[in-house]
Amino acid sequence: MNKTVNINLAGIFFHIDETAYAKLQHYLEAIRRSLTNTQGQDEIIADIEARIAELFNEKIKMERQVIGTKEVEEVIAVMGQPEDYMLDEEIFEDEPGYTRPVASGKRLFRDTEHSYIGGVSSGLGHYLGIGAIWVRLLWILLTILSSGAFILIYIALWIFVPEAKTTADKLSMRGEAVNITNIERKIREGFDDVSGKVRSVDYQKYGTQAKSGASSAAKGIGSVILLLLNIFVKLIGILILLIAGTTLIGLFIGLFTVGTFGLFDAPWADYIELAAIGAPLWVLSLLTFFAIGIPFFFLFILGLKILVKNLKSIGTPAKLVLLGLWLLSVIGLSVLGIQQATARAFDGEVVLTEPLPVTPQDTLYLSMQSNPQYSSEVYRGDVKITYDENDNKIMYSNNVRLVVKSTKDSVGRMEIVKLAEGSDSRDARNRAENIDYNASYDNGKLFLDSFLTSDIKNNFRDQEVRITLFLPEGSTLYADRNISSFHRGSDYYGNILKYNSYENYLQITNNGYICEDCETEDSEDWETDEWENDDWDNDSREEEEDTTNFLEVREDSVKIEIDRDGIRVNDANSKQVRINRNGISIQKS
Amino acid sequence: MKIENTKAQMRKGVLEYCILSVLRDNDAYVAEILDTLKDAKLLVVEGTIYPLLTRLKNAGLLHYRWEESTGGPPRKYYGLTSTGKEFLKELTYTWEELQTAVTIVTTQKNKNHE
Repeated sequence: MNKTVNINLAGIFFHIDETAYAKLQHYLEAIRRSLTNTQGQDEIIADIEARIAELFNEKIKMERQVIGTKEVEEVIAVMGQPEDYMLDEEIFEDEPGYTRPVASGKRLFRDTEHSYIGGVSSGLGHYLGIGAIWVRLLWILLTILSSGAFILIYIALWIFVPEAKTTADKLSMRGEAVNITNIERKIREGFDDVSGKVRSVDYQKYGTQAKSGASSAAKGIGSVILLLLNIFVKLIGILILLIAGTTLIGLFIGLFTVGTFGLFDAPWADYIELAAIGAPLWVLSLLTFFAIGIPFFFLFILGLKILVKNLKSIGTPAKLVLLGLWLLSVIGLSVLGIQQATARAFDGEVVLTEPLPVTPQDTLYLSMQSNPQYSSEVYRGDVKITYDENDNKIMYSNNVRLVVKSTKDSVGRMEIVKLAEGSDSRDARNRAENIDYNASYDNGKLFLDSFLTSDIKNNFRDQEVRITLFLPEGSTLYADRNISSFHRGSDYYGNILKYNSYENYLQITNNGYICEDCETEDSEDWETDEWENDDWDNDSREEEEDTTNFLEVREDSVKIEIDRDGIRVNDANSKQVRINRNGISIQKS
Repeated sequence: MKIENTKAQMRKGVLEYCILSVLRDNDAYVAEILDTLKDAKLLVVEGTIYPLLTRLKNAGLLHYRWEESTGGPPRKYYGLTSTGKEFLKELTYTWEELQTAVTIVTTQKNKNHE
């Protein structure tokens, strides 16, 4: 008793015995192999299948008859052995080529007979030897996880993996599974082969066959090495496929999130809009997508080609179109880059000088001031798009630099330099003029804006404001902590402030200052220790220890409190000494 | 060098000529061509003919059309193209020359042995 299989041979339906089916499958596969180098292989196979169908048809007497091994053998006898199919060019070789070892008879096809969409999943299922339902579930899972991008890989496989058209295709599609067990078996077979050959050499050591035996042994070892090499190459293929695939998916997601503009609020989206690159954002992202994506796409196909032997080519026209598209994208990006560079080729600046009524006896309180409408933070290095009080779209930037210098004049002054870049000097100058920046002085207090704004149509061209305060020697400066990030790194411009020059009364001297209320150098360092722990080197650490000794309270009745507001000393008699931003006060009750 | 291969080569050499000859007067489908060739004992197995037919067709010597058949799969009917007819004329001439030449050579050889 045998199971039967239903087959479709050249459009005719046959019941066929399972063993007969295996025999027929083997026969067709052998023919296909012997025709590998022949033109029009698919057509020939289709013709042969049609003829076999015809012969079966003649042999079947009644409709429900099952084709058995006998019928198949008869047909093979009529049709001839696989080597009979070879044309004269091939027959000139004494050894027919069909005996060459085939690592795996199985190939990847799309199974359109059991398909939901393109038959990719069921084909992969056959190839991997697992149920198509699992492959489908995996697709769905991966598609959801990659927010839809895996669909692309599905489409790629749909395009590149050929459909199983002929019976031989279908047979090789269902052939031996390419799984670990089979690979292991192949390797073991290879070794058995080798040892068998070696043994035969032993038996016929003095025989005339020794030479041929040795050469077969070499062949056996060769085939094992070849197999290992094949596995290695496949692994490389998988690696390439993974790298290229993930890059493509990443690019694709990137394209859509940027392209739709608003799905995600990318932090650099503002910058790109401000930079006025000369092309809309979607064009830019599309160009980038092509310029990076196309090489990776070819890499992807390369990986796929390594893994799947019978891959369809995407065709020369498609390759040329992709190559052209890539070249255009690269050229486009270069042009935009050059444009951007020329748009920033020239610098322009506008200088405003205002007097500061600060004389050598005065104290100036200095603070940065942010606009809570734009930003709550008062730090440098921020560029964004925002709206002013009249709902106009404006550019907002924190690129404000503060420089404090000493002067021999009796009255101080403030210099505001507005800087910008442009395609020519005039353009740059115009742009610099269009920077809005405010500073207000009121009764010994100077408030500087921590930001600059400009109309959005001026675009981002490295607009910057540089404020230089010239303070007469002998005057005193008391700066708020919030200035510290604005004068950092201004040494090049002759800045006399240090990173910790705030919340102290600083008497301006020639190119420097004397701290009036830092009791000693030590206490000043001690105070900053709260903030600058990271920057300490060993020397100052020793000093820190000294400071602790110095601050040791020698009387139980005296309490010393030090925090960011200042220093307070209380003793039992309610005497109090306070040192803070308002100065030094001594109280006696 | 196997004798089977040499025999097969000799047969295959004239096979193309014979296929074209079968189709000289009327179109035929594969089974008909096969019957003629098998009756003449020129062909032992059928397999050989399929690659040959495809090659002749691809070379533009043959054309084919599909015809429905009762019960079986549709049949490919092959016929000669005008190029094929020219080709056949050339081959016929060559064959006659070859035949004469072979006769002369083989009989001469026999004479030497005698």
